[in-house]
Amino acid sequence: MAVSADPPRVFPVDDFVREELYPGYRQAFGSQPFVAGPVRPFSPADNERYWLRDSLHFSEGMVPASIATLDDAQTWGAQLGAEIVGVPPTRGSVNRLAGTHVYIGTIDVDTPWQVQARAARFGQYVSPILADFDAYWSMRAAELIAAYEHFDHLDLAAMSPGELWTALKDAYAFHRRAWFIHFEVMYVLTANYLAFYALAEEIGLSGSQVSAFLSGRETFYSRTDEELWRLAGLARSLGVDSALTHGAPSEMRSQALALPGGSSWVAEFDSFLAAYGQRTEETCRIDTPSWIEDPSPALYSIGAFLTKPAGFDFHAARAAAVAERDAQIDQARRSVSGSDLTRFNEALASNQAANFAWWNEEHNYLIDRRAAIPVRRAALELGARLTDDGRIARPDDMFYLFKPELFEVMESGERTGGHWAELAAMIPDRRAYFEHWRERGPSLPTMLGTIPDTVPDPIMIEVFGLSGHFLETLRGGPGGGSAAAGAEIRGFPAAKGVAEGVARVITTVADLHTVQPGEVLVCGGTTTEWTPAFGIILACVCDTGGSLTHAAIVSREYGIPCVVGTAVATTMIKTGDRVRVDGRAGTVQVLA
Amino acid sequence: MSPAAAADAVLDLAAIRASDAPRVGPKMARLGQLASAGWRVPDGYAVTAAALEGWLPTAALAELHRLFSAPTAGAAAAAAPAGPELAGHQRLTQLSEQARRLIEGQSLPSWLADAVADAHARLAARTGRGALLRVAVRSSAVGEDGRGASFAGQYETYLGVSGADAVLRHIAKCWASGYSAHALDYRRRFGGSSPLRAHDLAVGVLELVDARSAGVAFTLDPVTGDRGRLVVEANWGLGESVVSGQVTPDYWTVERGTGRILERRVGAKLVWSVLAGSGAADDGEAGGRGTVLAPLPAELTQAPCLSDDEVRYLCRRAAEIEEAEGAPQDVEWAIARDLEIPDSVYFLQHRPETTWTTTTPAPAAPSAKSFDPVQYALRNVFKVPGS
Repeated sequence: MAVSADPPRVFPVDDFVREELYPGYRQAFGSQPFVAGPVRPFSPADNERYWLRDSLHFSEGMVPASIATLDDAQTWGAQLGAEIVGVPPTRGSVNRLAGTHVYIGTIDVDTPWQVQARAARFGQYVSPILADFDAYWSMRAAELIAAYEHFDHLDLAAMSPGELWTALKDAYAFHRRAWFIHFEVMYVLTANYLAFYALAEEIGLSGSQVSAFLSGRETFYSRTDEELWRLAGLARSLGVDSALTHGAPSEMRSQALALPGGSSWVAEFDSFLAAYGQRTEETCRIDTPSWIEDPSPALYSIGAFLTKPAGFDFHAARAAAVAERDAQIDQARRSVSGSDLTRFNEALASNQAANFAWWNEEHNYLIDRRAAIPVRRAALELGARLTDDGRIARPDDMFYLFKPELFEVMESGERTGGHWAELAAMIPDRRAYFEHWRERGPSLPTMLGTIPDTVPDPIMIEVFGLSGHFLETLRGGPGGGSAAAGAEIRGFPAAKGVAEGVARVITTVADLHTVQPGEVLVCGGTTTEWTPAFGIILACVCDTGGSLTHAAIVSREYGIPCVVGTAVATTMIKTGDRVRVDGRAGTVQVLA
Repeated sequence: MSPAAAADAVLDLAAIRASDAPRVGPKMARLGQLASAGWRVPDGYAVTAAALEGWLPTAALAELHRLFSAPTAGAAAAAAPAGPELAGHQRLTQLSEQARRLIEGQSLPSWLADAVADAHARLAARTGRGALLRVAVRSSAVGEDGRGASFAGQYETYLGVSGADAVLRHIAKCWASGYSAHALDYRRRFGGSSPLRAHDLAVGVLELVDARSAGVAFTLDPVTGDRGRLVVEANWGLGESVVSGQVTPDYWTVERGTGRILERRVGAKLVWSVLAGSGAADDGEAGGRGTVLAPLPAELTQAPCLSDDEVRYLCRRAAEIEEAEGAPQDVEWAIARDLEIPDSVYFLQHRPETTWTTTTPAPAAPSAKSFDPVQYALRNVFKVPGS
């Protein structure tokens, strides 16, 4: 084999390097690598559009380092995904920050030609993927898993400074890629789901039933829950359950080890974490640890399973949910005939093969709750070294640097001196800023800007719950204060059943451990991290959400009533109120 | 075709069956089939497509070729006013007029003329009308009705023609009508052949029914495509006024199966089609038609032109035709003066109903018959216009 001894050929750009392109040019004109604009603070022009507080994904504020990962996800990823798939009515989403809190808006496509042109290529893009979704998703999942294999096994502590810096840049690049995959798949599957929804409406069924038809398939999260349930049973039989039902989660491990059967149980728990612990509690947030770093959420879940008075039979609940799903499908089939039935069966088969309700849970493990972990790990290792060098006070000060700041300092080669002093000096103020806005978080409005009559983006309706009723309720205003006894709140009927109980209003997942068995959970919206609570609550009520939101899907699987998209539940209901939730009617009554 | 084959050039209706469609066109073949099955149809004969193929003298053919092949359509351009080229349609009209005048000026070969004269004499004898016989000379294109879009109406039909010589002239006119501006445009748009390609055209010559009332029966609702009902449209006099859409006809809808009349509307019948005087019938007029539209006598304008019994009878028979053909049909019929049903009712022609069965999608569009997620998403979810 011939090996060239020549040095790589270089065509220097030096002659073309200059400040100006045209007279008056500024770098900012062309430097934004976005389809429609990056994350930024609100500006006066934003009053003309609607902005929804995304408490569904980000219940707490974003530290400076998380702005870049948010950019990758809900801004860049969504915009590129919508652009490449060719979704006709939308260019994806844009984000604004109120202090540190995330609001989401959409970019409508509003010229007829563009809608038509996008519609034409949309079909070309989507059809082949839906024709064999399993092969397509397997390929994407394999790509993600291979990346995690790489990043999870990096020995960061042993790396040279240059290697570590490279690892951090790789981690950022991967994060961005993961989020393009997220939205590419999401838009394709959403189309399939909404097509089924439309067909159901056309043949006289209810579109809101469709997600129930698609429920019950095992996901990474249902396997996680099943493992937690198994670990709870094991704790009981080994006699270590008392260690897991009292005290702070951070103490539970040592409490368990102090008991006779404790070491066996802890060994089981650690092998569980090795398999299921590469996940954080929130999306894009660099400052949230994985379960391996801090297993408190898992320990809390096990405790919840153990404290439910009647016990909770995980398998029985799942089997009942699957039976209920099949009964609903059979009932739907009996109510249609002829070509309607043929189309129903085709749509069901298409959606079982390319199942948004399933993927909406499953993908969190491979993308939302995991993609930022490599960035976090590399940033913390770098932070530890900078702390040792005395440039910053503590490793997690890294979270209070913006990505461009960090890159500028690291790439300049000036890793010492004035630059770091300047940055380090700002960190305490940034921490104070974050704390200030963290406290304000629960009081922020659900929507900002101009609340429209309707929202054209179907994803905003089905996932975020921006239905006509939701918007109307917001325009009417929650009125503030608590609800008078007898007041009725309306929302989307997400899971059937009627339950009466004491409300527990929760605005951040961090407070989830305060939920007591037999209470009615009232919250902005839930994510996978809230799932364990569904094993102990009587019912669930959310401000946001539609047929496809997490709370709707999980409530059906746990067999409890659920009403979502109420817009005002967390402002009108107070912890301790007695409420009656009717999941079929979509109503919540405040009794006293 | 040589004179030796002249015996097969003209066929009496009694000898024609459905299988003769490639020779006489589906229109005449269906009529022959009906007649052989005992239906009351006008008697007549057909000049086959093969007999008419290449009837044009070589010199006339060469002239046609010159007309259509000139870069700016030769003579048309030369005849055009100086200046910019004529607009497409105007040029087409001019070409059409020249071609038709050329063709109508030609005589059929004598062997064919003799065969037609013989058949005409037999018909006059069979009908007992002798020299008083008046006929309809109908174009019957081979391949007509058989395509996706109906070619019906592209060729002319001439009513009230009398005498063998006039019949011969009108056969040439039927042929020439294939060069109407309309027909040329139709061929161009529906991927038809070169205008120079010989037509596959047969011609039917049928005794003209002296009609009291006439019209069309549809074996489905032509507006909605509803196959549960049949529709009858009719006017006093010859069917021409109905077929050409020159009146708002009387209108009935009839429930399939029960024969119950569901709807009955008396149309605004201001005119009717009647035979012109003998001069017109002898092709003395520029239009060449032996019928005229005349004002309808006042006492008839508000009177329904059919009895309920006649409507029900027409629908029952039309449904039988549909059943035999296996597809929805439109059926032209005429009711002769001075006779009682069923003897009075003549079936003139029928053809597959093309609006609902072939050219446009049925109410359930093809995409709605099966679940295509992309189509559903675009149409019902994203509401993309036209998808």
